[in-house]
Amino acid sequence: MASSRSSQSDLSSAELSKFKRHQFWQKSRLWLTLYMLCLPTIGSLLLFSYYPKVDVVIMSFFRWVPSQIREFIGFNNFKEAFADPQFWQSFKLVGILLVANLAKLWPGILAAIALHRLASQKLRYLFQVCFVVPMIIPAMVWLLIWKSFYDPDFGLLNRVLKVTGGMELLDGMDTFMPKVASLLSPVFNGFINPVFGGVGGLILLGFFIFGSAGRKELEKSRWGDYGLIIASSLIVPVFAWTGLIQTIPGIVVMLIAIIVAMVLLNKRLGSSWIAWPFLILAGITVFWGELVRLPIGIIAAFAIYEIIRSKRDFYTGKPILMTISLTVITVGSLLILFGNIWTEPLEQFHGGNPAWLGNKDLVIPALIFWGFPWVGTVGVLIYLSGLQNIPQDVYEAAELDGVSPLGMIWHVELPLIMTQVRINLIFLTINTLVAYETFLILLGPDGGPGNKGMVPGLYMFSSAFSEGRFGYACALGMVLFIIILLLTIVYQKYVRVEK
Amino acid sequence: MPKKISKLGEGIKLGYLCFVLFFAFVPLFIMIVVSFKSNEQYLSNPWFFDHPSTWKWGNWGIAWDTVSGYISNSIFVSVSGTAITLGIVLMASYAIARYDFPGKNVIFYLVMATMFLPGTVAALVTLFDLLMKLNLVNSLWALVVMAAVGGQVAGVFILRNFIEDIPKELFESAQLDGAGHLQQIRHIILPLSASIISVTCIMDFLGSWNNVILPLLLLRDDALLTIPVGLFRLDGEYVKQYGQLMAGYAISSVPLLLIFLFSMRLFVKGLSAGAVKG
Repeated sequence: MASSRSSQSDLSSAELSKFKRHQFWQKSRLWLTLYMLCLPTIGSLLLFSYYPKVDVVIMSFFRWVPSQIREFIGFNNFKEAFADPQFWQSFKLVGILLVANLAKLWPGILAAIALHRLASQKLRYLFQVCFVVPMIIPAMVWLLIWKSFYDPDFGLLNRVLKVTGGMELLDGMDTFMPKVASLLSPVFNGFINPVFGGVGGLILLGFFIFGSAGRKELEKSRWGDYGLIIASSLIVPVFAWTGLIQTIPGIVVMLIAIIVAMVLLNKRLGSSWIAWPFLILAGITVFWGELVRLPIGIIAAFAIYEIIRSKRDFYTGKPILMTISLTVITVGSLLILFGNIWTEPLEQFHGGNPAWLGNKDLVIPALIFWGFPWVGTVGVLIYLSGLQNIPQDVYEAAELDGVSPLGMIWHVELPLIMTQVRINLIFLTINTLVAYETFLILLGPDGGPGNKGMVPGLYMFSSAFSEGRFGYACALGMVLFIIILLLTIVYQKYVRVEK
Repeated sequence: MPKKISKLGEGIKLGYLCFVLFFAFVPLFIMIVVSFKSNEQYLSNPWFFDHPSTWKWGNWGIAWDTVSGYISNSIFVSVSGTAITLGIVLMASYAIARYDFPGKNVIFYLVMATMFLPGTVAALVTLFDLLMKLNLVNSLWALVVMAAVGGQVAGVFILRNFIEDIPKELFESAQLDGAGHLQQIRHIILPLSASIISVTCIMDFLGSWNNVILPLLLLRDDALLTIPVGLFRLDGEYVKQYGQLMAGYAISSVPLLLIFLFSMRLFVKGLSAGAVKG
């Protein structure tokens, strides 16, 4: 249009105004079209995704039954949630499952490495297909088949155990393990409990030593680091001792203090800071009721570090510290295994028909065993994609250095797929905290015998749809959300820093 | 990969993979075996097939009568949900990737933020209330809508990144030829993005197909049950006929296996490739 004029200065003001209006209208039309293209996405997300989430926040302050009761009760739902022993007990099961998940990761990792190393391209593809097939079977089918495996009479598990002699072995252990536990109880009562506050405290000390061992240089600034870590460990105990933890303002201030402490830890300690919030959180959990032991345990670990390092440099001292910490952790784990878990005869194996999902002592082992051999299908393929990015030169260089095929796993492949492993671990953790479909289907809304299979999400579900306490369920969901949000923030830093 | 091939090494690898896959496939094998048995046969021989003359083919007939309704409901929900997701996601990611316009970043972060709100498990509670108000309880359309919503985030994220990598010249030359937005999506984006779109669709389909909790809460009538809920109800009956149950499970697994057969190569490659990009 402009080309028809000799120059723009010849345009009359009216024509210029008209041109601008036309240009604006054309651009507006384009924008309008683009907004229309985005409208279904925006509209559906706002209505079905954001609105329910916002509504949760609001309704967590109400006593609420949809279309029946809607009564504002302030923070009462939250007070009740924090005082609810069953809610916090459900996190204990999550903790057990998370520890089990650390073991369950390995079959998938090893499968991916074995797949990657296969010489034959066709064979590799065939196995990849085989790993994808289980993913195609409906999740409910897997669940129900496994559920049938656990049936006392028809179930395959009991049948296999009988045929292989496993049932007699378990029956024998049902006699043996309680005896071992009773032999160990003097050790617990006379030494472990008074000195460490329980075997959990012993293991935690091992982890504290582990966390201290990484420091290379003995600068004077380490005393400030020690002080900061000890101060961080005192935040929750102080709020608990003063009773402030029972008040909403107290909790808010405590959370702010925790965040400030984490920021300071990040600045002072560098990339290794992330371990300490987790160690402190574990300490709070283990020492709840005797929180004075937490800072004392940390001080003890630092003292051990100082003693070792006063006589050794980093490269000879660290292996000693690592040996001490791993020994302590191993001894503690064995003490738990033999002294804390199987302390009474279950008397479930003698008749040969244990009800794995119906007995309160067997339901947790059953949940852990579920899905054996635990090659999470997506995990294998994700690790495989990480492995495929490893250059050939790396393998050749390692081979020249005399690294064995087994050593290749630890020195080459694992480090290079650690990002994928870590991401998978993050998703596993969040999923373990959140998911409850499996438990609902295997055990019902009550979480099975003695509520042993209750996870936080299932407890929220039951509160709403079994007990009709929808407002309380929203509050439980909010607490769970905050916990997971904090975890996510920490994990985001964790992953990014390591990269 | 070391160039010389050690037979022992290969044997160990193959042995490990076969061991893992054996146990992974045992449940499926047992499912097929038991589907041809009565409870008495199952009790006396749970590991392997009985003689063909004693096979209980009636189990499959009864199972089909029970399960076929679930399958058609699940197909309706999953296909509808995936199709709607694809349509909406293509439009939004095209607009966000191709043009600058006011509020574009707000829209994108609005989509992304949903991904970073993990663990809002209680949203199920208020979602249930919302769907009640919309009169969508006891309706398959509720599941279709939620399937479409659920697929938005990953879909927009993946496709936006992909579309941004497509050369602009392709779009500009199409525009010169008079192609509108929808035509550009259809003739440029769809062909070039076929593999990534297929993987996204398959993941959406699987997510919808395997959805348990929402159907469990929303669906009341037997005629409306989807596969997960229907099988769960069957399992809940006190006296279990395992042969019929297993036959039902087997029949319920067939549709996805058929889909997989047609998209197998694409799926395996796409998943690995997608993981790298992700």
